[in-house]
Amino acid sequence: MAIRPSIVLLRVGMYLALSLVACLSLIPFVWLVAATFKSSGDIFSYTFFAPLSRLTLGNYKDLVTTEPFLRYVINSVFVSCAGVVVQLFFSSLAGYALAKYQFPGKKAFYLLMLASLMIPGQVTLAPSYELLYRMHLVDTFAGLLIPGAVSVFGIFLFDRALQQVPDELIQAARIDGCNEFRIYYEIVMPMVRPMIGAFCLISFMGMWNSFLWPTVLLHSKEHFTLPIGLSQMVTLYSSQYGMLMAGTLLSIVPVVALFFVLQKEFIAGLTSGAVKG
Amino acid sequence: MPRRSLSTLISSFPFGPAALAMLVLTILSGLVLAFNPPPKKSATLTYWTFAKPHYDSYVKILPEFEREHPGVKVDLQLVTNTGLPQRLQAAFQADLDVPDLCEIEISSAGTFFRGPLEHVGFADLTDRIHKDGLLDKMVAARFAPYTKKGHIFGLPHDVHPVMLTYNRELFEKEGIDPNSIQTWDDFIRVGKKITIPHKRYMAEMVSTGTDEYEICLFQRGGAFFDANGNLTMDNDIAVKTMEFYVPLVAEGSKNQVAGSLSSSFGSVIVQGLQDQYFACLFTPDWRTGGLQQDAGAMAGKLAVMPLPAVEPGGRRTSTWGGTMLGITRHCQNQDLAWELAKFLYLDEKALPDRFRTTNIIPPVKHSWQLPVFHEERPFWSNQRIGEQFIALADQVPGQYSSPYIDTAKGKSTEALISCVKYYEHHGDDGFDAFVRSELKARADEVRRQIARNPY
Amino acid sequence: MKSVATTPVSVTSSRASASLRNRPQRWAPYLFLSPYVLLFLIFGLYPIVKSLILSLYVTNGPKDALFVGLANYAFLLHDHDFGTAVWNTIVYAFWSVFLQLPLSMGLALLLNTKWVRGREFFRLAFFSPNLLGQVFVGVLFTILYQPQFGLFNRFISWVSGGLIPVDTKWLQDPALVMPAIIITSLWMYVGFNMVYFLAALQAVDQDLYEAALVDGANSVQQFFAVTLPSIKPVATFVLVTATLGSLQLFELPYILLGNGSGPKNAGLTIVMYLYNNGFQTGDLGYASAIGWTLAFGMLIISLIQVRLTGATKANA
Repeated sequence: MAIRPSIVLLRVGMYLALSLVACLSLIPFVWLVAATFKSSGDIFSYTFFAPLSRLTLGNYKDLVTTEPFLRYVINSVFVSCAGVVVQLFFSSLAGYALAKYQFPGKKAFYLLMLASLMIPGQVTLAPSYELLYRMHLVDTFAGLLIPGAVSVFGIFLFDRALQQVPDELIQAARIDGCNEFRIYYEIVMPMVRPMIGAFCLISFMGMWNSFLWPTVLLHSKEHFTLPIGLSQMVTLYSSQYGMLMAGTLLSIVPVVALFFVLQKEFIAGLTSGAVKG
Repeated sequence: MPRRSLSTLISSFPFGPAALAMLVLTILSGLVLAFNPPPKKSATLTYWTFAKPHYDSYVKILPEFEREHPGVKVDLQLVTNTGLPQRLQAAFQADLDVPDLCEIEISSAGTFFRGPLEHVGFADLTDRIHKDGLLDKMVAARFAPYTKKGHIFGLPHDVHPVMLTYNRELFEKEGIDPNSIQTWDDFIRVGKKITIPHKRYMAEMVSTGTDEYEICLFQRGGAFFDANGNLTMDNDIAVKTMEFYVPLVAEGSKNQVAGSLSSSFGSVIVQGLQDQYFACLFTPDWRTGGLQQDAGAMAGKLAVMPLPAVEPGGRRTSTWGGTMLGITRHCQNQDLAWELAKFLYLDEKALPDRFRTTNIIPPVKHSWQLPVFHEERPFWSNQRIGEQFIALADQVPGQYSSPYIDTAKGKSTEALISCVKYYEHHGDDGFDAFVRSELKARADEVRRQIARNPY
Repeated sequence: MKSVATTPVSVTSSRASASLRNRPQRWAPYLFLSPYVLLFLIFGLYPIVKSLILSLYVTNGPKDALFVGLANYAFLLHDHDFGTAVWNTIVYAFWSVFLQLPLSMGLALLLNTKWVRGREFFRLAFFSPNLLGQVFVGVLFTILYQPQFGLFNRFISWVSGGLIPVDTKWLQDPALVMPAIIITSLWMYVGFNMVYFLAALQAVDQDLYEAALVDGANSVQQFFAVTLPSIKPVATFVLVTATLGSLQLFELPYILLGNGSGPKNAGLTIVMYLYNNGFQTGDLGYASAIGWTLAFGMLIISLIQVRLTGATKANA
């Protein structure tokens, strides 16, 4: 097939546009990585990387010695992963109920969930805090995990995704004598693994980066998650940009890594769920 | 064989590998946390502070206090600067986790005095202060910001006199004698000689915040609120201060001698000093401490001098910032807490080390004789910086508390920005009228907020 | 494990075991939904009701609550700062939708072209900013926006040949604060929305395109006749969530502006104003009133949006 010059121009132009946007997207990351290896005095002296002789690991050393940074990491890992596990279980269960069962009051549930999405979380911040205080859950991880155990977004996601599961499969399992719960986790769930992968990533991201509620709820330093710890360091050590950037970089690595691994499932999950819905 | 069973194990997990990974990580991290529980805190007293320099100096001398009071354990916590008032508010709101002692910054203190006196979260220290004669031993004016209707709720940490830090090298190069700058008029005259817009400014004075505006306002005897809690941010002194300040910072103004960067602290200001972008900075004692820590490259090149006076013979200092220590009503050991407060704030064992690291002079008059305040400092071109600040301590202007100081500051900032914009476009034309109306409009907004408060 | 081969269910056998099969089926959905309901009642409904009640009070601490009826709401109407917050939030939401979404759509269209190579790399590159979360982005961009030394100013100054001065005070100039916030959120969210659009585009039925081609439609006509209608559900979803999300903006400007609202409140958003009133001033009543006003506004806006997109859907 002969290639016309106008098509070549068009293609080159499109690649240029894409590459430009990609550069713009990635440059702050490059700067971030570079900044973690520059001493605070050099941060602005060199645009990106300092010459090899001036590179330093001091920021990372400062990071773990000045603050219990490793503790923040473990806390974040625990809270985020536990949160995902809990949310996954309860949300998918609820989504399954909505997708595959007909029952009176179903419409009411939908309205309820939609309404709850309308209320900005900050409105209920203070009353929620007071409630958790009465339950002696302030400054505990349980206080973070229990109220957030169900994600309405997750329910909607699984509702849409699980509608794709053929009814015949479920009926056949019932005939075979499986109880409802077993049908859920042995038959239905394995069919939507891409969606589960997507949900895990989204949910993990949400919990990992969550700031406001944990700030209000967690008081003692040993319980801090990374966003809280880092934002405190910003005001306490405002002059040490290098250390702050090191902390920021370490805080975003897990999410980025997770995204690398789950990229395909994430996209597949969104494709099957959001689009056909 | 084992490999195959592992992969079948993974793939047989109904929720898929992602969920399995999450579950595994939860268990692992949970185990790590379980085996590393936070150390049990059985402290007798909990103490919150927001300033790292304070924290560092307390940590060093607390063991001394604990030695003098066997069996007493003090839990000292560093809480972020901007978060501490909120955290304390939240603690008071929910009646939970309230510390025994807490340091509060001067402009946030008033918010804790908003309600009726009996419900102020801090204990009334008036009687204790009188009994220990602290009003004589300390700079009395520094109690005012922490007082409501005659009841004192906080112990002042500092005096914070403001001086001018100048680049001695730059002055020498340009042939400027610091003693020739006695009044602001002198300052402007010298400033115009050495200011090169966008390259060098005589001073750092921000136009998007009230930091230096406040300093000028207080120096002139103005304030945001008076002793009766009335809003005075738009009175004549404020107007005069605004009319003085704006032409110094407005772009293109014939008297522009000041500029600003994005931040007054940290790497930004250090770079500014090194590049000689600023010849002078307005520095209270704590800021000189900060410069010592951050601006190592400027050692020996900086020096301090009193602020220029408004009129010859007038006040040559002002004030910026402040901290109080309060004992909360929740504290079960009020007497012990009071002992700790006096130990940290008045005890002469504690003060020398604190001064060396932070440069903050205490409001405790008899301690000023200590030799540490009269040391020569190589960083400051061998000046006796302690002496210099102490000399100005009794001229420091007073401030009064109000729950609305932050609001008033914010509105004053709005007014400042508007006035600067106006001046940049219209110069002196109708400037006085504009300043008056602008300040009044913003002040009225604050008055409406105050009126809404039924307490 | 038992085989789950699909066997046709005969009518007689279904009726025979109907009662046995229907019973667990009856209560199973309620059981499965019960965790959500329980949690909602305790941690959702109670705080919601409490905050509604609180909005009728002026509070100061746990012991001081004065009933003022609708006075908080009345004050809101004349509150200059609240007006600023509303204006800022609306401006932000407007640009979020009308600048961000077309960009996301454009990128998705570019990436959807058949012969594009490295699609996965580009997708990852565009999406990665979203992974950071608003707090970390805020911390990073506070430094990038530094006048004189920050990367952003250096880059823009270089690109514009010095037209834009290198000491532009993005976060200190009231007129530039909102643009800075919008630019940052563009960086964060364009890739995110693009992923949705791309997935939608890739799911469009190719047969429809062929049919359109047969009918003689060129690429532009194909776009309007086939592409747009096919992605309407996703586009609506993205539109509604983007709008609602941007109306709740808080953490990004809060961190960017150093835990403040910026010069002249240029970065003040509704939720930030709520937070300041509730947790700095300590007046939870007023904060609740702000929150409910926002909730009400969000409801109206999403109803309007659904109406607009739903109505046209009926016509398509």
